[in-house]
Order: sequence, then structure tokens, then C-alpha cells
Amino acid sequence: MMTGQHGSQPIQHQFNPYSDNGGTLLGIAGEDFAILASDTRQSVDYSINTRLSHKIKAISPSLTAEFKAQNPKMIGTKNSILFGTNGFSADGDALTRQFEENWKWYVHDQNKSAMSMQSAARNVQHLLYGKRFFPYYVHTIICGLDEEGKGCLYSFDPVGSYEREQCRVGGAGASLIMPFLDNQVNFKNQYIPGTNSTERRKVDYLSLDECLKLVKDAFTSVTERHITVGDGLEIFIIDKNGVRCEYHDLKKD
Amino acid sequence: MFLTRSEYDRGVSTFSPEGRLFQVEYSSEAIKLGSTAIGIATSHGIVLGVEKRITSTLLVSDSIEKIMEIDSHIGCAMSGLTADARSMVEHARVSAVSHNLYFDEPMAIESLTQSVCDLALRFGEGASGEEERLMSRPFGVALLIGGFDKLKGYQLYHAEPSGTFYQYKAKAIGSGSEGAQSELQNVYKNDLTLEQAEMIVLKILKQVMEEKLDSTNAQLCTITKETGYKVLSEEETKEIVDIIYEEEAAEKQRQEEEEDDDEDEDEDEDVDMN
Repeated sequence: MMTGQHGSQPIQHQFNPYSDNGGTLLGIAGEDFAILASDTRQSVDYSINTRLSHKIKAISPSLTAEFKAQNPKMIGTKNSILFGTNGFSADGDALTRQFEENWKWYVHDQNKSAMSMQSAARNVQHLLYGKRFFPYYVHTIICGLDEEGKGCLYSFDPVGSYEREQCRVGGAGASLIMPFLDNQVNFKNQYIPGTNSTERRKVDYLSLDECLKLVKDAFTSVTERHITVGDGLEIFIIDKNGVRCEYHDLKKD
Repeated sequence: MFLTRSEYDRGVSTFSPEGRLFQVEYSSEAIKLGSTAIGIATSHGIVLGVEKRITSTLLVSDSIEKIMEIDSHIGCAMSGLTADARSMVEHARVSAVSHNLYFDEPMAIESLTQSVCDLALRFGEGASGEEERLMSRPFGVALLIGGFDKLKGYQLYHAEPSGTFYQYKAKAIGSGSEGAQSELQNVYKNDLTLEQAEMIVLKILKQVMEEKLDSTNAQLCTITKETGYKVLSEEETKEIVDIIYEEEAAEKQRQEEEEDDDEDEDEDEDVDMN
């Protein structure tokens, strides 16, 4: 019997609750800073919904007038959490809002001014695993400073499995950028010259400038090769002074 | 119609015309009947101590449980209707464990105390008769909750059946609480060591207890950052009790000698007079 021919099978009507909004999310944790960056394009199939969507939110304790006066460009304190999601943007937004609500309740209930990265990571796991059988279709990365002031990054799969890492890329460009970061941040497959590939190059922290260069290079490259990545690049940087955000244009083609 | 006090003390959710909730006030009275419990917060740790009323020589003292672990960093001592405390402690344990599950950190002492007090206040729920009643009356037990957290260090809280709680440096509850509290006020210093605090708790218990203090009718526990919640064994308690009795005996002897000296001096004076 012929298959796939019109009329050979009953027509199935199916509701698909998910869509893929493309884009890429990238985080790197340095010695005393962390950065989280994403492109600002949001697309479905071959159409672009917007060229300026925000996939990252800085969740910060409220800023005092003094802090604002001293740091007019800062959008958050050093106790902030950079919360980034990539994948199905409606789910990403919902997850971000839910986490923000949990963060606020935590601060009230525990008489604290902020949530530690470790606690935030565990909480995000519960938000994601709580929807184990109808998951949020997102790759989540959160960045901040840990309790010792060191750069800190946690990445999550859609159902809440998580790990603290030095760097991670999520979303459409993940397969293109992650190997690049493995090599450039964790020095994978780098050997000391003259040792005949027997001695590995020792891993060391990268400076903020080096990291920013890597991020920009990664995004301009992936913009060339992936259709759902482009338009703009938002980079959030958190360090002991607070959170600031940079914007750079990417190709709009 | 004229309503006497006895008619206003029936419902747990009815204020008397003077603005009092009698059932809540009576629950505090229930605690005053209970055995004494004392807690001290020092900069080195928390000490909780309770008196056990051994009503019969056939009673196994180990079966009296008035100090309980809530989490590895939180303990509590109780006075009043100890059966009521079991549901409070269970609630506290669930809170502490689930906080650790959801936030990957030990629960703060203040929020743990808050969650116990939230439960204590639920006696009013359903009193209107519209929903199912969970509790028929307020709890008849007070808790001393002590522990360590990173946020505020060592803390001791007193949770009342009314649902209010206060933080104390040192607190006594139960039948001997009045005397014990004023004694705590006399001896409390900010730089007490854990050992000094253990000694103070047992000494005060000795003063306020009806029976003679020994290692079976009193129980101590300590909570420190390093070792967490730890109940002192009978042997460890005995060591401190023995020291107390030795000190007391030595003091008594010293006083007697002093009296003898005084008498001698008197005699000398008499001689001179002659």
C-alpha cells in the first residue's frame, strides 16, 4: 500500500504547544566576574518576530539612591543574578517571572537582601523539574558571584539537571560555539609547544577583556552561519561593582 | 444579657469586651505548670537544658523527651503539654528539610521559628464553622528554639502558643521560670563560654527543681557551628553535676571555716578584754 498519499491515512489534528524561537545564549565565569550574553533576534521558521528581544534579566536587590548616584550606568548590585533563557521564548519568560517571584519571596521570608547562586540554582531546578512531564522548552543559564565573590555560572537542561561550570552556550548556536569555548576558555586540546602534545596547557582564568573579545567573536561568527542568530548582542557583566549591560549591533541579514 | 468572663473564654476566636482572648491566655498558664526549660545563647554556641520530673522510681528517665533535634543545626527544648510539641516539632522538621531541598542551604533559625509560630496560630482557623477545623485549641506548649545560621550566627528564640516569638540571649520557661529568669539576668555575660553556659543552666535548674538534681532528672544539649546539635550523655551530665556538688561542698566548708575563724577572733577579743 502506498503511504504518505493523500487520503491513505486519516488526517490527524494535533496541537503543538511549543515553538522554536532560535537565538543563542552564552555565559562565561571569570575569577571575580561573570558574563552572560545573547543575541536579540526572536524568530519563528523564516520570519523574525522582533530584532530586539531580551533573553536575559538581571534580578537585583533594589538600588539605593546612593548606588544610582555613584554608578549611573549600573543596573544591578553585585548580589544580582543574571537569569538567561533560550529556546521557546514564552516558556523562557514564564520561567524568568516565576523565578523572580520566588526570589522576592525568599528575600522577604528569610530576611535577606539577596539569594545566593547556590540556592538560586537549586530553586531553578525545582521550577523546571516541577514541569517534568510538560517541560519548559528552554536552556537556562544563570550567572552571578558566589559567596566568596568568585564568578559563578550554572547551566540547566529543560527538566532541571544542573551543573556549575566555567562556560556554557545554549540555544541554536550551541553546537557551533561550545567547541570554540572548550578550546579558548578551558584550553581543551591545547598543549605546551615543544612537548610533542604530551603536556597540557594549564587552565587559568581569562581577563574580562579577553572574555568580552571571545563573546563578540563567537556571536559575529555564529551570526554568519546560523539563520536564527543576529540583529543585536546584549552582554551583561557582573562583578564586585555591580551589573552593567553592553549592546553591540550584529548583522541583520 | 450580661456575659461573664466564663462565657467569653469558650471560643478561641472571640475577644472579650476588654479585648482579651482567654483561651490563648490560658494556654500560657498551661506552660507555667510544665517543667522548667532553660536556654542560653553564647558566642560559642547554644545550650538548652530541661528538668525531667521523674514521678516514679519505676519510670525510665530516658523515655522523657523534652529536648529534640529539628535539623542538624537546630534544636529545641519544651515546657507545657509536651504532646502538643510533637506536632510542632514535626512541622519544624518538615520546614527545615524542605527548605534545604528547595534552596540547598540550612534553614535560618528565625524563619524556622516563624514557620512554627505560623502553625501555632492556626488554632483560629475554621472557628467560624465554614471550613473544617484543624485545631480545637491553642497549643499548650512553649518552645525554646536555638541554633546557628550563617546570617545571624547563634540565636535563641522563645515561641509562645499565641504565635508570637522573641529572640533572647537567655530564657527560662515553665514552672520555675520566674526565679530562673531573674537568676539568668544576674549571671548572663556576653562572653560566656559554652562550658560556663552548661554550668549555669544546670545550677539554675538545681535551684528551681523540687527534686534533687542528678544526671537522670536533667538533660542538656548543645548546638555549635562545628558539631551541630548534640545531646549530652548521662555521663557527660554527671561530670558537670558532680562539679556543682563539689563546688557547693567546698563553699560550705569554706563558710564553716570562716565562721570558726570568727568565733576564734571573738574569743581572742574576749581574752583581751579580760
